[in-house]
Amino acid sequence: MTALWDTTGTEVVKALSIERRAAGSVSSGLALTLVAVVDEKLVAEAEQAATAAAAQHPCRLLIVVRRRPDAPEPRLDAEVSVGGRLGPGEAVVMRMYGRLSLHAESVVLPLLAPDAPVVTWWFGEPPHLVAHDPLGVIADRRITDCARADDPLASLGRRGDDYAPGDTDLAWTRTTLWRSLCASAYDSLSGEPRSVTVSGEATNPSRALLAGWLKRRLGVTVAIEDTAGPGVTGVELVVGDDTVRITRGDGLTATLSRTGQPDRAMPLPRRELGDLLAEELRRLDADETYAESLEVVTGLSGLSDRAPKREHIWQDPMDTQDLDPALTTS
Amino acid sequence: MLAGNPLRDPRDRRLPRVPGPCALVVFGVTGDLARKKLIPAVYDLANRGLLPPGFVLLGFARRDWGDGDFEQIAREAAKKGARTGWRDEVWQRLAEATKFLPGSFDDDDAFDKLAQMLKDLDESHGTGGHAAFYLSIPPAAFPTVLKQMERTGMADNEQTNSWRRVVVEKPFGHDLASAIELNRLVDEVFTADDVFRIDHYLGKETVQNLLALRFANELFEPIWNSHHIDSVQITMAEDVGIGSRAGFYEGTGAARDVLQNHLLQLLALTAMDEPVRFDAHELRNEKIKVLNSLRLPKDLASYAVRGQYDQGWLAGERVKGYLGEENVAAGSKTETFAAVRIDVETRRWAGVPFYLRTGKRLPRRVTEIGIVFKKAPHLPFAQTDTEELGANQLVVRVQPDEGVTLRFGSKVPGTTMEVRDVAMDFLYGEAFTENSPEAYERLLLDVLLGDASLFPRNEEVEASWRIVDPIEQLWAEQNEQSGGPELYRAGEWGPKGADEMLARDGRSWRRP
Repeated sequence: MTALWDTTGTEVVKALSIERRAAGSVSSGLALTLVAVVDEKLVAEAEQAATAAAAQHPCRLLIVVRRRPDAPEPRLDAEVSVGGRLGPGEAVVMRMYGRLSLHAESVVLPLLAPDAPVVTWWFGEPPHLVAHDPLGVIADRRITDCARADDPLASLGRRGDDYAPGDTDLAWTRTTLWRSLCASAYDSLSGEPRSVTVSGEATNPSRALLAGWLKRRLGVTVAIEDTAGPGVTGVELVVGDDTVRITRGDGLTATLSRTGQPDRAMPLPRRELGDLLAEELRRLDADETYAESLEVVTGLSGLSDRAPKREHIWQDPMDTQDLDPALTTS
Repeated sequence: MLAGNPLRDPRDRRLPRVPGPCALVVFGVTGDLARKKLIPAVYDLANRGLLPPGFVLLGFARRDWGDGDFEQIAREAAKKGARTGWRDEVWQRLAEATKFLPGSFDDDDAFDKLAQMLKDLDESHGTGGHAAFYLSIPPAAFPTVLKQMERTGMADNEQTNSWRRVVVEKPFGHDLASAIELNRLVDEVFTADDVFRIDHYLGKETVQNLLALRFANELFEPIWNSHHIDSVQITMAEDVGIGSRAGFYEGTGAARDVLQNHLLQLLALTAMDEPVRFDAHELRNEKIKVLNSLRLPKDLASYAVRGQYDQGWLAGERVKGYLGEENVAAGSKTETFAAVRIDVETRRWAGVPFYLRTGKRLPRRVTEIGIVFKKAPHLPFAQTDTEELGANQLVVRVQPDEGVTLRFGSKVPGTTMEVRDVAMDFLYGEAFTENSPEAYERLLLDVLLGDASLFPRNEEVEASWRIVDPIEQLWAEQNEQSGGPELYRAGEWGPKGADEMLARDGRSWRRP
């Protein structure tokens, strides 16, 4: 591990190359570069999740911490490690102070693995507009997490307005196990779908996306029920003469009940962050199913037809009150 | 899976393939394989959320156990062998769906109970009556068990109004005649599509990656033929001896144990043409074409080498010779090493020999497919410049260090022109494969889903025996006339004969 204080991007690139030589593996099949934009308080948690995900998808991990954009002097501190505490791959943790934090891409660009896809992940309040953050503009795939916003549902709505193919949100990833259970249950049903009910916490964005998905795929209205959670707590499908109900009250175990059949219990734990992130890194193309579900949630249309590339929109902290939260971490 | 499920969408690739409700019935559940591989694999699948709500694990063995005893033993086995982290709540759910049925294979009563139980499980656990039978039992017990299944009608899809599948482990017979007999027996009781023969090598990620490497890339397939390839070497080496498996190994030997299944399957995947579609039917069609076009050399005695390990030093420890192992007959002529040359008689492979070797007590555990390319037809360098340049090689490492190596010539830095071999490595990497599923997980899942792509068909098994039978015959004759296998010291890369075999063709083995 190399720690660099008050350094420059060029020094970081050099340190990474020296670390790689020292580790002996000059290129070990890097699949992508993962850029994590993280708040200082959350660095340890983000590192852990990214390390878990990197164990499944060989990647170069670049963690960017933006600190005090109003600091008078720009400054860069960096920690470079290969095959160290941040998992088997290459990792650079960078702390950027002052105006430099608004130009993070100037440090990140030379560190990207050659010709490999770039994934940017905001761990914290998602950006209002991805285009505000140059680290989002350079990414092929962008991962946000509405559930971390102060108002998750408003944040989900913003994701719809701001959507471009290649965007994804961890609130959507959290629905995968639910969706998989619904699809499996549906395999053994026949007849026309009649009604669907989804229940969960009122402010849970995953509940909204799950309901959106079911509505889009089944073409029936989906009723929403508020419960105390945690998260999504149940789905009821009425198809033909059958009713299938999947309920999870404790965030751990789901019960599957169906007319005329005994209840069955099965584990349906709320997944860990690293697991969610690994699922996101599995595929790097646009997720049409997410776009369609988001369309239902937001009432928008044609999300998949939007241009996948964004133009950077410059925001200057000197003359805007409303600086994007992605740029103002700690 | 119903074709019309609106919740399933091919574009939605996040949804995992989860089988429908069913029971997995394991015969011989007290055996090594069940404890070390099957039960942990079932737990790992459950932990990854890949088992359906109506899943039941049903053990069958001659033990005086109740459900609870079995659950206890299964829990220990799962805990010890699981690849994924241990979560009590996952096991708790699985434990509720774990049943045990005591009985011996000739006990009519026990099988009547089993048949009834499979019906009852639909009521109590909602399995839909579907069941996969995993025969983790010695081949000698196959006929008895299969006859019982036929008698009770539990193998019949129509009679039970559900799917019933059977999983068979190697060895698939001990020669062509016995394999045909076994296939006939199994196919009589089950329909051919419901028979899954497990060759766990085919469940390995890297083996599947070989197909991706070949057929998803532009780079390799155009040179994948006799114009550019000089020879192919497929090696499966083990550093262990036979351990306590003398009972099985005596009279089986390396050729039947490994060559007939793993090595010939790897050969088939390396040599096959592109399947029309990536599905079970087409994939197996292409493999069977290769297996049917295999030919042994005319002078078989020179190209089928066998050996037996003698005592020696391996990895810093003194190890016994084969004859010194427990329960091995004095003067046993069982081979622990086999190397053969096989030719593939197709236009693509004319004149490209495939060298296959396998052995126990070799220096290290390694399985790899080495593609050796021809030398460049013309070198514009002075001969002295390229003295150290060997043939280009592409090596697919199946295990360990899963990955691909490409070896090619490169200029040595300096003022003179000097070309030397260098290796470019793609590593799935130990660290990265930690999370790639164990072969048994993948294969069990495929059985429950009814996807037969990674399972050899009965014709493949028979075609493989057609290759191995003449070799075994030759060796049996040699045993009578002259003597047994050539000895090699434990910790060496096999007997001298194997090196001489390649030297005769002007080649040499790669050191894996």
